[in-house]
Parts: sequence; structure tokens; C-alpha cells
Amino acid sequence: MDKIKIQFVLNGETRQVEVEPDLLLIDLLRERLGLTGTKVGCGEGDCGACTVLLNGKNVNSCLLLAARVNGCEVVTVEGLGSYDKLHPLQEAFIAEGAVQCGFCTPGMLLSAKSLLDVNARPTREEIARHIAGNLCRCTGYTKIINAIEKVACADRHCACSREAEEGR
Amino acid sequence: MSEFKVVGQSVPKADALDKVIGRAKFAADISFPGMLYAKALRSPVAHGILQHIDYSAAAALPGVAAVLTGKDVPGANNFGIIIKDEPVIVKNGEKIRKIGDTLALVAAENEAIAEQALALIKVDIEELTPVLCPIAAMQPDAPKIYDKGNVLAVRKIVKGDTEAGFRDSAVVVQQQYKTQMVEHAYIEPEAGIALFDGDVVTMWVSTQNPHYDAKEVARNLNIGLNKVRVIQAATGGGFGGKLDVSVQVHLAMLAVVTRRPVRMVYSRTESIKNSVKRHPYTITMKTGADANGRLTAFECTIIGDTGAYASYGPGTLTRSAVHATGPYEIPNVKITAYTVYTNNPQAGAMRGFGVPQVAFAHEAQMDMLAEKVGISPLEIRLLNALRPGSLTATGQYLEQSVGIVSTLEAAAAKVREIKLERRGGRL
Repeated sequence: MDKIKIQFVLNGETRQVEVEPDLLLIDLLRERLGLTGTKVGCGEGDCGACTVLLNGKNVNSCLLLAARVNGCEVVTVEGLGSYDKLHPLQEAFIAEGAVQCGFCTPGMLLSAKSLLDVNARPTREEIARHIAGNLCRCTGYTKIINAIEKVACADRHCACSREAEEGR
Repeated sequence: MSEFKVVGQSVPKADALDKVIGRAKFAADISFPGMLYAKALRSPVAHGILQHIDYSAAAALPGVAAVLTGKDVPGANNFGIIIKDEPVIVKNGEKIRKIGDTLALVAAENEAIAEQALALIKVDIEELTPVLCPIAAMQPDAPKIYDKGNVLAVRKIVKGDTEAGFRDSAVVVQQQYKTQMVEHAYIEPEAGIALFDGDVVTMWVSTQNPHYDAKEVARNLNIGLNKVRVIQAATGGGFGGKLDVSVQVHLAMLAVVTRRPVRMVYSRTESIKNSVKRHPYTITMKTGADANGRLTAFECTIIGDTGAYASYGPGTLTRSAVHATGPYEIPNVKITAYTVYTNNPQAGAMRGFGVPQVAFAHEAQMDMLAEKVGISPLEIRLLNALRPGSLTATGQYLEQSVGIVSTLEAAAAKVREIKLERRGGRL
């Protein structure tokens, strides 16, 4: 099979790679580029462990051909934050006890980011609906939703954040 | 009051930072230069005898580094947490006891070649009638899954005189309960990677039981325990299901034979087909009470389907027998629990370990008894709950720390609070 040359922005950096036409995005990320933060839980789009952001939207990288991301922007958990500078969602997941086995965590974080980027103050129901494609088999959903809600509320226009500042 | 740094404080989970950053290394995240990819050929039938296996075409396929069959297992060729009844690879002429039994292993340069090689292996299996129901498996004329018979273990608990107890009962409830097989479905499928460095096998595995794994590897490779090093990688859920051996012995064999790093990662389908399950139960329960609702007698028979291999079956059924009366004091008790082999997927440890199944039954019994006696479900539970001074079904005298009464009272208070809120504060 002839390889296809693609160019895309991965975690803020422009990358040029040659891929087989049947190579999946998850395999490009994990096996070729060494970004193993993105996980494989089912390989068929059911569990969401392989979630990455494609042009800002949460997608299952196990269902996407790598060639499809030509010209796109991809963000994986490695691009979300670093040891020195955690993303607020990463901080909240740690503080709220939203990390158990940790296998769903990268996908959860990215799905949460894709929600907050378009809706800074979602309701609990909106959060739950948005992460419906990300399974947590430790069933730690309450704390995951708490963590996402905490970041949403940290937005200074949020009512609960104002209440906190006023010491109520 | 003393000041503690950890007790009573909210402490961040030790590995949470690595996990939110994506740096935590699960077994499938680890790789080494020159690594091979392993796949297993699994039995398509539930019960049979492996007559012949021809892997010449698979071994000749370019990119295949090794094909192993039962004859290549250097040691015991069996493993199991309580009873060593599960083969590492089924040998020619030996029994297949479930769909998914390993018939051959392949290590290749990539997963696609390994899959191709599996498709080239020809197996000849003499099919036997599968036994899929534990009650049928207990009948004398049932096909034998093991020469020793299909009933693996029987646990009996007898306290007092149940006949007299039922004679003195004002009400009796007898029911049969069936619970289903449950898959753990941990989000991370089984995975591991092994190296053979000098004369030591080192592996990183998704496991709950590295010390047990190391012993099974040593026994089956016929090497010293000091030549095996099992390291638990970050593990993506287990819930009891990763206490059993999955990839460990297979990886060790392939690493030793090929002298290259070998990685094996189950697909989700493979994980569901080959992992242990929660035991499906058939429970017959008879509970008697006097006219006030005080429990008088209890008889219970539990049949647990442990599938093709014992795993934690005998332990699970023992726990079920011990807890069958629930958190209630009953003077006359007779319990029999059977662990039965079938050709179903093997059942083992899963959250609660045999207790959730019997809880479903004894709590349903309590509700029905309460209705017959004419008291509330809460009243019958408070009346019969274990307290300090109670004797359990096994005759254990409870001296202290029995939380069921205070738990029921706290739950009842919460229910009253919620009901009050729903009525808008009006009583």
C-alpha cells in the first residue's frame, strides 16, 4: 500500500508523517509517536478511553483513520498540561478524587475540555450527557462530574464562585 | 485531639498526578526495541479433546518468531489460585473445557502477522457434549468435565434443629432465586510485556496478584522463583478479575524461547471471553418466623456455577454459605453450598465475593416475611438484626462492633428526612 503524507498540528506542534491508508489515529499516536496517554479500552468506539480532540471536538481515535487528520488540529492528554503547569481540569480531577484506576482519565479530561470550551457553565446534567461516551468502570462518575463542575464554577462569572468569595 | 498529617485529611492519591498527565505506564504503554507481539489461538468449542494441531504453515510465515503448543510448556502446565486445574496450553490428547482455552501461542513482528499466523493453524478437535447448567452437571449421568466429577466442593453449616424451628414457625417463606453471570469489564483489557534478560524473566503486567503470578510462572516454566520478577504496571481496574493469571505464563514462555521482549494485549472480545466472572447462583431459601416476626429457622441450598476452572470458586461459595443468613440472628440454620464445574466461562472473585448473590435472596425473604407477619420491612430487620451478644450461623459470638442496627436507624432517619422534604416540610 502506498503511504499517504499528512500534516497536522499535534498538541500545538506541526507534524508531518507518512501513514498507511488503513492506519488508525490511535495507533499513529501510541505506536508511532509514543504518545501512550491515549488508551485503548475496546477498539470499537464504545468506551471513550481513546478520546482525543479533533479541531476541538471529542472523538474516538480508535475509529478514525490517521489520514483523516490531515490539515486538522489534534490534542491528546499530553497536550493538555504538564507537571509544571497543570490544566485546571487536571488539578480539579486530583483535588476531587476523580482519578481511580486512571485508565479512563485522559479521555474524560479531553471530553470535559471539549464541553467547557463551548459551554463554560454547564449544568450537572449537561456534564453527565457530554461524558456519556466515556465509560468509567470504577464507576467514579459522581467525583468526575464534581471535578468538571468545579472548573466550570471557577469561572469568575459563576454564581457559586461568587458565593465562595463572599464567604457564604 | 491529636493532629494527624494523613488520618482525617484529604490526601491526593499517590499516582493521580501521573494519571492526569498521561504519563502513568499501563502495561500496554510499555515497549522495548525489537519487541514481538503475542496472540493466542483459543478453542472455539466449550467441551472436547484436542486431537491434533498443525502449525507448520504458521511457523513458516515470514515475521513469525515462535509458535508454541502444549508440548512446549516446560513445567506443570496448570495454574489456579486454589486448585491447579487450568492448562497454560491444552496438550494434544487432552481436554478442552471452555470456549477460549489456549491451544497455541504466536509471537510475531507485528499484530497483523500474529493474527495471520493464528488463522494458519489447523486444529482437529473431538467435540464432546458441553455441560452448561450446574444443576444438570450435578446429575449422576451428566457428562464428566473432570474424572473426579463435576461437583468441586460442598460446604455445610448446621446450627440447632431446623425441623423443630419450622414446626414452631407461624409463617414460612420458601423461594428460589437465580442470579446471572457478571463480567467485570475493567476498562483496561489484560496486558503485559516480558523480557528475558540473562536468566531472569521480568514482566510488567496488569494484575492484582503479582506474587501469585510469579509462582505460577516459575512452576510452569520449571525455573526458580528467584528467576521470575513480576512488576505490577498501573492497572486499569480489576475488581477481583485480575487476581487470576491471564497473559503472565504465556508471555514468560515466549520471552524465554525468542529471547526478545514480548508484549501481549487482549482485545475487548478476548478479555470478555477469557476472564473470570461473577458466579451465577441458584439459591433455594426457606425462612420461618414466629407471629411477631422473630426468625425461627432457615434452610438454604446454593448452587454456584464455577465454570470450567475453579479459580476462587470454593472460596466464593464458602463465603456465600457463611453469609447466607444475612445480618440476622437465626437459632436454627441448615446451609449447603455447592461449587459446580460446567463448560461455561470460569467464575472467580468479583466485588463482594459471593455475598451480593445471597443478599439478594435473604433480603427478599425478609420483605416477604414482614408482609406475612404484618409489620414493616424496617421493623422485621431491627427485630432480628445481629447485635453484640448475638450468635451467627457459624456459632461466632459477636462481642462488639456490630453496625447493622445503627446503620438501619441512620438509613430510616434519612428516609424520613427525604420524605419530609418532598412534602415541603409538612409532616
